[in-house]
Amino acid sequence: MKGIRKFKIDMKELSQREKVLLEKLILAAELIAPLYLKQKNDKYPGANFYPHDATREEIEKAAKKNSAILNPYTFVERNKSRKLIAIPYHLKFKKELKPIAKLLIKAAKLSDSKKFSHCLKNRANSLLNGNYEKSEIVWLKTEPSKFGFIIGPIERYLDKLFFKKCAYQAWVGILDEERTKEAEKFKKMILTGRRKIISGSEKVDVSKLGIRIDKTAIFSGLIADFMFTGTNLPNDVNLMEKYGSKLTIFESSLISKFKEDHLPTFKVVFTKKFQKSYSEAELYEGSLRCILLHEICHSLIRYRDAEERLRNFFPIFDELYAYILGIKSCGTLLLKGALNQKELEAILIMHICRNFTWWLDSIKNPDVKHYAIGAAIAQSFFLKEGAIKEKGGISWPDFTKLFICIDELSNLLEYHLALGSYEEAKEFVDEHGSFDVFKSFYPHLAKIPSKI
Amino acid sequence: MPEEKKFYLTKQGLEKIKKEYQDLKSLKLAKTKGEIPKIWHSEDINPEYLSFREDLSFLETRIAELENILKNVELIKPPPKERQNIVNLGATVLAEIDGEIDEFTMVGTLEADPSNHKISNESPIGQGLLGRRVGETVVIKTPIVNHSCKTIKIKYNKI
Repeated sequence: MKGIRKFKIDMKELSQREKVLLEKLILAAELIAPLYLKQKNDKYPGANFYPHDATREEIEKAAKKNSAILNPYTFVERNKSRKLIAIPYHLKFKKELKPIAKLLIKAAKLSDSKKFSHCLKNRANSLLNGNYEKSEIVWLKTEPSKFGFIIGPIERYLDKLFFKKCAYQAWVGILDEERTKEAEKFKKMILTGRRKIISGSEKVDVSKLGIRIDKTAIFSGLIADFMFTGTNLPNDVNLMEKYGSKLTIFESSLISKFKEDHLPTFKVVFTKKFQKSYSEAELYEGSLRCILLHEICHSLIRYRDAEERLRNFFPIFDELYAYILGIKSCGTLLLKGALNQKELEAILIMHICRNFTWWLDSIKNPDVKHYAIGAAIAQSFFLKEGAIKEKGGISWPDFTKLFICIDELSNLLEYHLALGSYEEAKEFVDEHGSFDVFKSFYPHLAKIPSKI
Repeated sequence: MPEEKKFYLTKQGLEKIKKEYQDLKSLKLAKTKGEIPKIWHSEDINPEYLSFREDLSFLETRIAELENILKNVELIKPPPKERQNIVNLGATVLAEIDGEIDEFTMVGTLEADPSNHKISNESPIGQGLLGRRVGETVVIKTPIVNHSCKTIKIKYNKI
């Protein structure tokens, strides 16, 4: 089904009641996909959020008189006199959202956890009344429960015009307690130090960071299209500052991405001799740590005014810097003996593989282009400094040089997010973000079955 | 004869090891005192016997490890006052590593737990900082990462 991705998960440990609850949540998630598909339109930078003939200037002008125009949860349409008007999602999709809310209420009644039940009821209400902030706060305050569940308009990646409008998505998963405990330890190690702040910047301190690794049962809407392996919410900086944030790693999606994309990329990009030094298990661990570090570091790089300053360039810098800072943090972990050299190498290798797969994914799905541009920037630094030596599409990395590049890139990205202007960001992306850096690898990458 | 490896432990760490040793010894005694499953089950080896042997072997290995630790243990003690401005085992160090301020306690490998700010003396940071004084900067080198590390403050709590 379009806009939906399901994963097989083990439900042996669930009671009959919990299985029914899970079914209701999965069904609710499935019903959100058609709403997302009505928002999506790759032909226009503003997707279907704005009239296709409306210019950026016209929208900005209308927003000055009516702030609802650039509200994250409204469609912008023309009325009979061709004036721009804003229609809230919850009114536009009233009919479609009612059965979804009903399913959430039924699931809430089946839950043994009062807090999770309260959280579900709030989600249901928010879908119908548009008060998403209230339900987000309830979710942030709720302790981790057995089920991981999100539904609603959340991510802004479809709106390439203003990076404002949120697209619908949902996911359902079951907590992997053992993996979550390991991730918690990792988080504590990363967050232990106090980073220096660039003076003059409006850095936001995230009050607390919850963490969970889920065995995901379903992705629906935007997340199914993007196949995230992890996420850190909320996106609203002010909410994050006041109530903290929650990080989720989607194990099922990660396993699938690792098997279909990251590992096959490793096998075609690196020399056979180099490949023999790393087992599949070591590389999977590297892939998991790569995304875990990325999501943890999202909490460390929040600047109050970054989105306004960098506009459509913001997600490129935000996503890339979270990867780069995550890897940079591993340097200290290596020195502390929390990671060994082989483990750090596996993280670096998987980062390089991810760079290639983001580019390949962006060919099929232009909505993930900002990740691919970020990947191209990293790749261009690695090639320029000789950290990756490219010989007819096959490579052998120099880990010491890779780390030097990461350090250099980290300082540059931090500047752009902390203080940089829109023009500076554009210049940086124009200079380093070309997809040409991937092209000589293409004949080899084309051998990956999932990419043909 | 090669010198046996020393195990550095805090008082609490030593108590923990001693307790584990006593617990495992009692468990082994209880296991061998009880009825031992028969080796053969008709013509096949009895799976219960295999499981019993496996458990016992695991216990014996761990007990031997703990005996070796207890034989070669060296208790971490705070140095005399005049040497408390030098990083040694048991020191809590405030340091600047690659621009980040961090605080950790230097312990032996057995008690190392970086997520709880306990760093092993055998880690690159441990090796680089041991014997350094307040204000000293040292470059800690590994095959991948080279970071400068400045010691800002050293303190010794009662161990």
